[in-house]
Amino acid sequence: MSEHTVRIVVDGRELEVPKGELVIKAAQDNGTYIPRFCWHPRMKPVGMCRMCLVFIDSGRGPMLTTACTTPVADGMKVDTTDPAVKKAQEGILEFLLINHPLDCPVCDRGGECPLQDQTMAYGPGESRFVEEKRHFEKPIPISDLVMLDRERCILCARCTRFSEEVSGDPLIEFLDRGYHTEVNTFPDHPFRSYFSGNTVQICPVGALTATLYRFRARPWDLVAVESTCTHCTAGDRIVIQASQNEILRFLGVDAEATNQGWLSDKCRFGFGYINSDQRLTVPLIRDGDGFREATWGEALDLIAQRLGDVIRTSGPDAVAALGGARGTNEDAYALSKFMRTVVGSNNLDCRMDDTLDAEFLAATVDRALISDIDRAKTILVWGPDLKEEHPTLYLRVRRAAIGSVPGLVSSNSDAHLAAAAGATLVVVHPRATGLDPVADFKLTYRPGSGAELLAQLRAGEGRLAEVRAALAEGPVVALVGRTGSTEDPRLAEAVAAFVRTLPDAKILPLARRANTYGALDMGVAPTLLPGRVSISEETFTAWGDIPRKPGRDCRSILEGALAGDIQALLLVGADPVRDVPDGDLADRALDAVPFLVAVDLFLTDSAGRADVVLPADGFGEKEGTVTNLEGRVQKVNAIVPGAGQSRPDWSILDDLARRMGSSLGFGSAEAIAKEIAEVAPAYRGVTWDVLDWEARDGVVVPGGEGTQPLVYLPADTPGPIIKADLVLHSARTMYDDGVTMRHTPHLHRLAPGAALHVHPDDAARLGLGFRARVVGSSGSATLPVVTDPSLARGVVYVPFNQPGCPPLGSDPRVTVEPA
Amino acid sequence: MNETRLVTRRMADHPADSHTIERYEATGGYSQARRSLQMGRERLVELVKESGLLGRGGAAFPAGMKWSFLAPARPAYLVVNADESEPGTYKDRQLLERDPHQLVEGIIIAAVANEVHHAFVYVRGEYARPARRLQRAVEEAYGRGYLGKDIFGSDYDLEVVVHLGAGAYICGEETALLNSLEGHRGEPRLKPPYFPAATGLYGKPTIVNNVETISNLPHILELGADGFRKLGHPEDTGTFLFSVSGHVRKPGNYELPHGITWRELIFEVAGGLREGRTLKCWIPGGASAPWFVPADHLDLEITKDATGRAGSMLGSGAVVVMDDTTCVVRAAQRIVRFFAHESCGQCTPCREGTSWLEMILGRIEEGAGREVDVDVLLDVADNISVGLAWPPRMTTICPLGPSAVSPVSSITRYFKDEIMAHIHQAGCPLR
Amino acid sequence: MLTELLKGLAVTFRQMFRPRVTTRYPKEFRTKPQRFHGRHVLNRYPDGMEKCIGCELCAGACPARCIYVRGMDNPVDAPVSPGERYGFVYEINMLRCIFCGLCVEACPTEAITMTHLFEMSVTNRDDAIYTKNELLMRPDGTVPHMFDDDPYANYEELNTADGWLRATAPGGVAAYEGVKMWQGTQGPASWDPEPDQETRDA
Repeated sequence: MSEHTVRIVVDGRELEVPKGELVIKAAQDNGTYIPRFCWHPRMKPVGMCRMCLVFIDSGRGPMLTTACTTPVADGMKVDTTDPAVKKAQEGILEFLLINHPLDCPVCDRGGECPLQDQTMAYGPGESRFVEEKRHFEKPIPISDLVMLDRERCILCARCTRFSEEVSGDPLIEFLDRGYHTEVNTFPDHPFRSYFSGNTVQICPVGALTATLYRFRARPWDLVAVESTCTHCTAGDRIVIQASQNEILRFLGVDAEATNQGWLSDKCRFGFGYINSDQRLTVPLIRDGDGFREATWGEALDLIAQRLGDVIRTSGPDAVAALGGARGTNEDAYALSKFMRTVVGSNNLDCRMDDTLDAEFLAATVDRALISDIDRAKTILVWGPDLKEEHPTLYLRVRRAAIGSVPGLVSSNSDAHLAAAAGATLVVVHPRATGLDPVADFKLTYRPGSGAELLAQLRAGEGRLAEVRAALAEGPVVALVGRTGSTEDPRLAEAVAAFVRTLPDAKILPLARRANTYGALDMGVAPTLLPGRVSISEETFTAWGDIPRKPGRDCRSILEGALAGDIQALLLVGADPVRDVPDGDLADRALDAVPFLVAVDLFLTDSAGRADVVLPADGFGEKEGTVTNLEGRVQKVNAIVPGAGQSRPDWSILDDLARRMGSSLGFGSAEAIAKEIAEVAPAYRGVTWDVLDWEARDGVVVPGGEGTQPLVYLPADTPGPIIKADLVLHSARTMYDDGVTMRHTPHLHRLAPGAALHVHPDDAARLGLGFRARVVGSSGSATLPVVTDPSLARGVVYVPFNQPGCPPLGSDPRVTVEPA
Repeated sequence: MNETRLVTRRMADHPADSHTIERYEATGGYSQARRSLQMGRERLVELVKESGLLGRGGAAFPAGMKWSFLAPARPAYLVVNADESEPGTYKDRQLLERDPHQLVEGIIIAAVANEVHHAFVYVRGEYARPARRLQRAVEEAYGRGYLGKDIFGSDYDLEVVVHLGAGAYICGEETALLNSLEGHRGEPRLKPPYFPAATGLYGKPTIVNNVETISNLPHILELGADGFRKLGHPEDTGTFLFSVSGHVRKPGNYELPHGITWRELIFEVAGGLREGRTLKCWIPGGASAPWFVPADHLDLEITKDATGRAGSMLGSGAVVVMDDTTCVVRAAQRIVRFFAHESCGQCTPCREGTSWLEMILGRIEEGAGREVDVDVLLDVADNISVGLAWPPRMTTICPLGPSAVSPVSSITRYFKDEIMAHIHQAGCPLR
Repeated sequence: MLTELLKGLAVTFRQMFRPRVTTRYPKEFRTKPQRFHGRHVLNRYPDGMEKCIGCELCAGACPARCIYVRGMDNPVDAPVSPGERYGFVYEINMLRCIFCGLCVEACPTEAITMTHLFEMSVTNRDDAIYTKNELLMRPDGTVPHMFDDDPYANYEELNTADGWLRATAPGGVAAYEGVKMWQGTQGPASWDPEPDQETRDA
């Protein structure tokens, strides 16, 4: 027995369990299930349902006590099988059922319902209740995504606690009291939370149901596979469930390392596009203004011939590729290998000019794990609004900041009290963010002046002395990224360089798009080779003779296309017109390039201009690996067949290589994974076998000493300070006009919409009415005006990529005039 | 039998203006508060401990001991529980309404004794007039420098806030009261921690005392511990306010020492029953207490221990007397309905069980009872309060659920025949 | 030799005077046992509402996996069945069905019952998949036949056959078998009223 454990006896079995753990958890971990409804391992216990009543003897004789509110103590005896315990549990279930409607046949929960299951296991045979049950209006929509049936509710407070404790938007609460207690939203305040879907998953009955899944299937006709969400880069573990070859829902998996069971609504409900009837199903070849359907052979032969022509006439450097961040590592590896060995060009980039330096993202020094957030004394978030762009990281940081420790109550251990006090959270962002309510310090700056603020923070004088002092307390975890599309990408690196001077500091560089980290690790960048190897690294010989001169990045590719240097451009799951902040540039570049190929799920704004469009397999349709922002490699799995004739990217590229007289030498995605495991130093040994059978939480790369050849020290060059009368801040929101969202109608309509947010004083100064025209460095739009007193004066905010608004450019200087 | 007036003396002597500060000071008011400032925490806590003062809110926990549990962390708070909502209890109301300065002085003493600089008085939402009187008294005390900064010219600060509840019985439970005071739903907190003295208001050490308990403090200082002890029973010192109501000739508040018998209380003090009526049963300590019947309990001594041994409690001193015209099923249903209505809805057994009990009792009363209903009644009650034991072995967080079981266990124990008569005659035999 | 012949003829003569057991199917039909498992029907309530709520319990219980059901939200202004949900798709593949009757047992609303009709031969495999069109009784209480113009179809069997009740009562107590626990149905799959109940016309 160590100092961290105590001995307890559960049903006659002596167990050694961690100190401070709750009886219900300790028993469960050792094979004794105590029934429960309200207790959830990731939230504070409330002891409301009383289902977990067992005999607990702490020296004063056995007493009926709730196992979910009692921490273990040395010598404690727990009896879960005594007839009196059984009777108490039966009694509680009878109480719960007297007002529970017998809706089971039509209830979405029927078949996977904890109330059903526990009634079967612990409940009375029949009810003695002969009176009229309590009635409420049957399901009422409490948001666009969630329905509430108060008759079925057993008032366990899981949803209310989740929204208050975990997600921090307490929009759902108990109303009234006693027999008439109900869960509901406040009048005129719908349950508009980015995390509302979690309440559906943790509801122990069918009181909260998802509008999308409503009556679509029963649990017994679902097939399921575990996978990894790729809406953001956190690598959230999910279960995909499908029926009749149609994906019907996602559930969160409680993976300690990543999402701990929670998902954002975008992740949970954002799969509509996979089933969309707008999906590309056959290859298309340009025919005048439109397209004609073609066979794979015809389309690939055409591409092979045209690419060959370009390489012959203008050299391999006239060919470029954008994208690769939406697919798997295997797809990215195939793209990287195709460009390097078949074409012989380093002009490829998975970044859409809206994120950070490739080396910094892929191989920064002192990289943090997500779980380091829990142990940090100080957390610095200088980057995107986590709630909008990295929702599950937001939950993690929020929890660390408020310092609630789930699973423990009133334990007096010092460690617990220290953790309960929470980390000091410093948030730096040009605008209000979701983390502000729990932040100890919030620093705001005007876009373009970040470098100035950084210098002041480094000096720690005046009003920043307190913040600087807080940052001096380690361990420090810093989440750094680009706060918006008008910010200089070098600022985040400079912040990281500053963070490295702090004690015990770790850095988590933030990029948003799906598998950006995986694609970079596979070398889909002008300066990188697979496995975090620099392009100039001569020891990388697996691909034979490849060009060693760094190629063009995204911006340079687009500029090259405009200048006529790039003759052929491959878009692999990329939509530059929508995603590149300098939308104007992308727009003209795609029009200028002589030969454009798009591999995509949809005919996007960019793919619509292509000469050949190839249908690709999407999420849930192909197997592979992805890498999250901490370098964790996890599997994504297939559950439904692709749409029509669609194929995975790697297979398209493999076929194309063959038609160009070369070969990538792949037989299957798994074979690619094997090749990666051999060729890419940081990924050495990470095969599917390992991921499927050994590493439940994935594998963090690099695996060990020396397996990451490139270690990048963040550069301390924050870029110029740009001052102007009006500066633009433009950042992404959770729901936007991206291609997957656009084809997921129920989420697309939740997009906030394009608008110009200005401070009321500025609005008055500029004489703005209901609409205003905003002219950015690379685009302009006439937008409705929203006054927002939380903005700094002189800053205008336009959410990025909203329906009806093109990207406005990456320069913060804008002009606004009344329209 | 004469009353022993202590906390009600002033209002009896000067019924017209006992609530004014002039009268209060004219009758020696605030002198003990001044004295307490010189005594310091140690001596005050010791004095209250010696006096043997038991809490008057219902649980009868020794006040001095509660004070000595107060954790050393500061800030700490004093909360006066004036959320008197137990059916049949109306003693605090009188103290608030007719002698508010006595309470304010008590608050000063308690605050000084516990080195507390913030006191809250949580007044029941329905007590508008008592709250107004108390508010006025607090303002007067502020005006004279008895509250606020540097009270009585010393360097001691004390702020007192009078807070009006929103009308919930459960907020009389101390942890629910603290939740309500913090602005949350009035729901009892999980135990442990068992005492707010460790973790209370805003997570800080907190003393929660009843109005009557606090009102006794000036008198303890005046009489000394021995003087106070001499007033009452050796175990239950001092006087006790009985709120006698129901079928007696002279219902009202009576301040009496412990140790008299129920027969004396009902038949002598309260004037007995009306002409031609016989005593059927009575509730000895508020709606939550199991009932007493003449055959077993009339000559029982009224002390905390004797009542406890007989399977009930003195609680807040509300004595509800019922004569032979009372239908016990209806009486029990009314009480259970009260608890069902006041349940906070947190715990399943209380939320669902109390309403179910009410429905079954209602059905029996209306003549739709079945024989099996008696068993159902008892079993449902048993699922709320295991074994119908007293003190209850609860399946709930707070004792409200088990309180609702008391009338059910009482009528099934003493009046089974009357319940069966309801069932067999398909209606109330007394109607 | 002769005795053997006579013995044999005796048997023949004896049989000649016994009643005939062969029925002249398809000209005449035998009365089926009460619990004969014939093809299914989906019932309606007397007010015309469908009993099926699309709960898929039949599909879940089916050992041959021949039932495919999908539910849907009841239209608020014109509900198809009582409650929130109705059976939007209902299909039984009669080629796979083994007529075990577990679907009938599983049904919580007694929406699906079995008739005595056993003639289900088809010339096309697609026709063996009975959809809601063929399964759901008409508002007048009759049951559609797969081929309405089939000269050999025996509507008698379909329209008068008694729906088979569950083997035990919903409560699981065998003693309650056949005791009416739900609202009566019009047409097939209804039972005689209890002595004190008034007869309800279809």
